[in-house]
Amino acid sequence: MVGKMKAVVGILKDTFSFNDLPLSERIAFAAFLVFVFFFPWIVHASYPRVVMIRFLLFAMYGLGWNLIGGYGGQVDLGQAKNVGFGAFATALMITWWGVPFWITVPVGIIVAVAESFAVAYPMFRLRGHYFAIATLCVALVWQKLFLFWDWTGGARGVEIPIKSAPNFTYMQFGTIGYHYFIFALFMAEFLFMNWFRKSKMSYELQAVRDNEAAAASLGINVTWTKVKTYLITAAMGAVGGSFYAVYHLYIDPRCVMQLDLSILIAMTAMVGGAGSIWGPILGAAILIPLDMYLGALLGGKGFYGIDFIIYALIIMVIAAREPRGIWGIIERARRRGYVLRG
Amino acid sequence: MFLEVKNLYKEFGGVVANAGISFGLEKGEIVGLIGPNGAGKTTLFNCIAGYYKPTSGKVLFKDKDITGWPAHRTARAGIGRTFQIIRMMERLTVEENVMVGAFCRINDREAARRDAQEILELVNLEEEANAHPTELPIATQKRIELARALAIEPELLTLDEIASGLNPLETIQIIDTLRGIHKEKNLTLLLTEHVMEFIMRISERIIVMAAGRKIAEGSPEEVARKEEVIKAYLGEKYAKGK
Repeated sequence: MVGKMKAVVGILKDTFSFNDLPLSERIAFAAFLVFVFFFPWIVHASYPRVVMIRFLLFAMYGLGWNLIGGYGGQVDLGQAKNVGFGAFATALMITWWGVPFWITVPVGIIVAVAESFAVAYPMFRLRGHYFAIATLCVALVWQKLFLFWDWTGGARGVEIPIKSAPNFTYMQFGTIGYHYFIFALFMAEFLFMNWFRKSKMSYELQAVRDNEAAAASLGINVTWTKVKTYLITAAMGAVGGSFYAVYHLYIDPRCVMQLDLSILIAMTAMVGGAGSIWGPILGAAILIPLDMYLGALLGGKGFYGIDFIIYALIIMVIAAREPRGIWGIIERARRRGYVLRG
Repeated sequence: MFLEVKNLYKEFGGVVANAGISFGLEKGEIVGLIGPNGAGKTTLFNCIAGYYKPTSGKVLFKDKDITGWPAHRTARAGIGRTFQIIRMMERLTVEENVMVGAFCRINDREAARRDAQEILELVNLEEEANAHPTELPIATQKRIELARALAIEPELLTLDEIASGLNPLETIQIIDTLRGIHKEKNLTLLLTEHVMEFIMRISERIIVMAAGRKIAEGSPEEVARKEEVIKAYLGEKYAKGK
């Protein structure tokens, strides 16, 4: 009994404690949280608010992907399927039966986790690029199925009926409401990751990433470690998908199960720094505004596609110069003493 | 018998790497496994530790049949190992490398960290705890391998060429460390090595392999005098000359 209490206290402490991080990082993150919290009061224009919501959503996607892709080192290019499972579970259940949002979320998670469990064992027989290709293919198969199936709305998609007043059962409200909604979800996943990165499972997962044979010699079941992580990542993707459905109130397999989405999710973590807690947040802070402002700006002037070129350039530079992303650059600079330690 | 290998065969396609190996270890023994390159030593190690499934034959550990168990299960059963080619978790620190081993028995992070620190002290690595293993020299990395394997608290420790690539001084140091650990932890050690100086000094008993077979077994002095052993290492001519 006392042991159990102690364990619970330990988990809570790990979830909310940032004491192991340098002071500079803690201050920067606190400033970031204050900024995001007051953002709707500072900025009244609607487009930046939309950009902010999208940033938080992708930071959240990135945090989830970072588990299997960053800490686990398994490049998963199929996270869009899990986003899709979450989004469709929510959209369909609300539209068909009027089920409250909060009940559709666990259903989405269960679907995503069950499907991921079914495909995980055969997929983890593959390694490296072959694993990445397999994840990509599985996601594409699901997208095609959802496009052809009639009962899921097919290519027409699903429209969630709009309520007249702000509504907590179906989570429909104005931009500010969605801002705090996604901020809360983001914080929940962030705190989970803060616990995770210090957990036994995190060490085992990183051991598997760095050297499977060595990990096995220390009693770690390599395949099961990967599968477990893959399932948690799937669950986190599904939560993001459920949010997406009630935020846009319209989904179809081309927006929630698209290959682009899988790649953008992987990119947020990889550009920012896979395998670090800040990586996905940094990555989303760079890629999402770039995507939404540059795309709008240049597209408006007739330079279609230039944003994609810039995008691709960033990715190539990151991949060639610093595979650990922007966070890797910061850490390297810090080791040389350019940035003051906290 | 603490560890018993019975008539073990391991074939890769047509190549027979282990052809009917049988031997046993008593608890607390230090046994060396020697043989020329390609004798099948590492294959035998991998069969015992669960990295390969033997084609036929049996491996018994503490009277339990562990033939074909996967590596993580043999580790949990109490067989630790180090690798011939160093395998570090390079993005983790030295201490974290050892902690991963301690997590095999302990769930609590801080308890695992304390354990890791104790073990690092035991192998004289407390100074390097926060370094990344790939920044360190080979001799140090070999010690990290040893510390990590010790962290699972094995009863049988199999060391695959722990002294190769070390200079004579480092070899003597690792012998001292191993002797200390052997005594303190009541371990059973099974080692392979090319460095004869090392294996002859540390082993109580030696098993000689050549071309996948066991050709001799005995105390270091006995084995060094055996004709088959000299033949395997130096060829017919020298054996006859003797």
